[in-house]
Amino acid sequence: MAKTQSTPVEKAARLLDLVPFISTHQGIALSELAEEFNLSESELLSDLNTLWMCGLPGYTPLELIDLEFESGYVSIRNAEVLQIVRLLTKQELVIILLGLDILRSSLDSERTDLQDAISGLTIKIKEIIGNIATASPIVDSTHRAIITQAIGSRMDLIIKYHSAIRDTVTERVITPLELSLDHGFEILNAYCQSAEGFRTFRLDNMRSVELAGSSVSVPEQGEITDYQWQLLIKSRFRTSSERFRSIYKARESTEGEQVSVNSFSQDWLLRNAMSTLASVEVQTPLSARTLIAQKCQQSLELYESWSFPK
Amino acid sequence: MSRKTERLVNLTIALLATKRYITKSEIFRTVDGYEGTDDSKERMFERDKDDLRNLGIEIEVGTFDPLFEDESGYRIKPENYQFQLGEVNAQEITLLSLAAEAWRGASMGPSALSALNKLHAIGIESDTELLLDLAPAIIAQDANLTIAISAITSKTVLSFVYLNEDLQPQNRVLEPYAVTSRYGHWYVFGNDLDRKATRLFRLDRISGEFKLQGRSGTYEIPSDLDVNNAFAKSAELSTAILFLRDGRGLNLRSRGLQSASTSAPVGWQEFAVQYRDRERFVEEILWYGNDVIVSGPADLRVEILSHLKAGVATYG
Repeated sequence: MAKTQSTPVEKAARLLDLVPFISTHQGIALSELAEEFNLSESELLSDLNTLWMCGLPGYTPLELIDLEFESGYVSIRNAEVLQIVRLLTKQELVIILLGLDILRSSLDSERTDLQDAISGLTIKIKEIIGNIATASPIVDSTHRAIITQAIGSRMDLIIKYHSAIRDTVTERVITPLELSLDHGFEILNAYCQSAEGFRTFRLDNMRSVELAGSSVSVPEQGEITDYQWQLLIKSRFRTSSERFRSIYKARESTEGEQVSVNSFSQDWLLRNAMSTLASVEVQTPLSARTLIAQKCQQSLELYESWSFPK
Repeated sequence: MSRKTERLVNLTIALLATKRYITKSEIFRTVDGYEGTDDSKERMFERDKDDLRNLGIEIEVGTFDPLFEDESGYRIKPENYQFQLGEVNAQEITLLSLAAEAWRGASMGPSALSALNKLHAIGIESDTELLLDLAPAIIAQDANLTIAISAITSKTVLSFVYLNEDLQPQNRVLEPYAVTSRYGHWYVFGNDLDRKATRLFRLDRISGEFKLQGRSGTYEIPSDLDVNNAFAKSAELSTAILFLRDGRGLNLRSRGLQSASTSAPVGWQEFAVQYRDRERFVEEILWYGNDVIVSGPADLRVEILSHLKAGVATYG
């Protein structure tokens, strides 16, 4: 992992945490200790050499921390003062609090023991830092765990998937390939056995995820056709850009903004164009303009053929 | 450079080991690493105290003799230094570790790592059975989240540029109170000093970086803070009556309430759906094309109709 060099203060903080860790893990291998603290072995050796110079005032061998690591295994003596595990900083408490929120919402409701343990810890932490952080996860952590397991063991999955574009929930057999991020949303790239094609699934739209049998081989992925549309955004610049997932920045002018958007799904582009009828004009391709006109006409016909209460 | 590291560790050990307050001159005489003129030792010590405080280590100042307050002394009380969640069992350690691990690869990665190092140093083995079927993950790539959290925990004012609906940059000055994630986005909530009211800002709508402004500890976070309320009070609730085609409009169905008496045509169902933001709701209805039709109120139906007619005029 690429890292920037630690500052002296960061290094001091790490040394304070190394002492209690080694004290409860006497004889731990250098490599294992380096991994726990996300350091290279040479960085760890530099840390240990510094720690060796530290101790109580006087700094004779009687007062200095006594470390042994030449054998490749680390043990520590004469470090009673620093053996206490350091308190969690407020930042650390905030991230744990948010993490507990995420955990809570994905727990099986029958595990009341875990629910209670999380509530207890949450109350303790809020007493220290206040109610300053909450999280409402959109992805079920158990789904993520099953997907990760399936990718690792080359298993297929049966998912119930709510497609916002198609406005349907379908059950599919898929071969999961890779988890990634798309505009801040977690997605799974997969081969859909049901549709016989490569598909992208948003984790937050999965209604259920189950392991199926072992994966069979997946065909080569062919070229993906991408639809590209030219838009003129006339108003609601931020909302419209967010809808089309177009990256935006501050603008000086109050004129319209020309942007180019693309997607593998023409349906998605079309639905967004319908949503933004009042604020966005699709300029090209012409086939897109025709489709939008048809959509509008179809809806208008329904309104005109029915009678509504006044 | 490593002199500084050693000095900080040695200072911590000395102040932690002492049962009484020790004076500055004792510190300079006995703790390794304080060198140079009196002035430079003095400056070193002040910086070291600040650095330790930023690590959450509180140095207490006191006097030996309440009658003679001429020289103050320093110490770190072990109870203020040690892990503050008290006795924890294997299950709790597992939950706390999972909570920190959820940040792997996210913007708070370094804090997550140091939290895990401390939790593991307690020396209680995690309950591995529990680790298997949960994989919590927090998606937060935004560096501003890290800055917001540290501003909140140190109570420091933030200034930043926010892009409004017209993407015009607005300068904002905020006393941040809380961060929250909703609908897959991170928000910071706080007291907007120019607007003189609480406001909510979505982090990905901020242009550039948050800037810390002024000193820390300049304001108080209300003790009865409830961030969830901030989302609720944006606008009044309104209700629309919609016709949904069989099996369509899934999100509207799950949010709405199906009407008992129905005026909907065959193959359609009537639902009452509540909304707050009218513009967004209109856009949502249009998303569904001819699978969702507004029955009432009339003004909402007229608005949808005008958009559809304008659409035919533009594209037809």
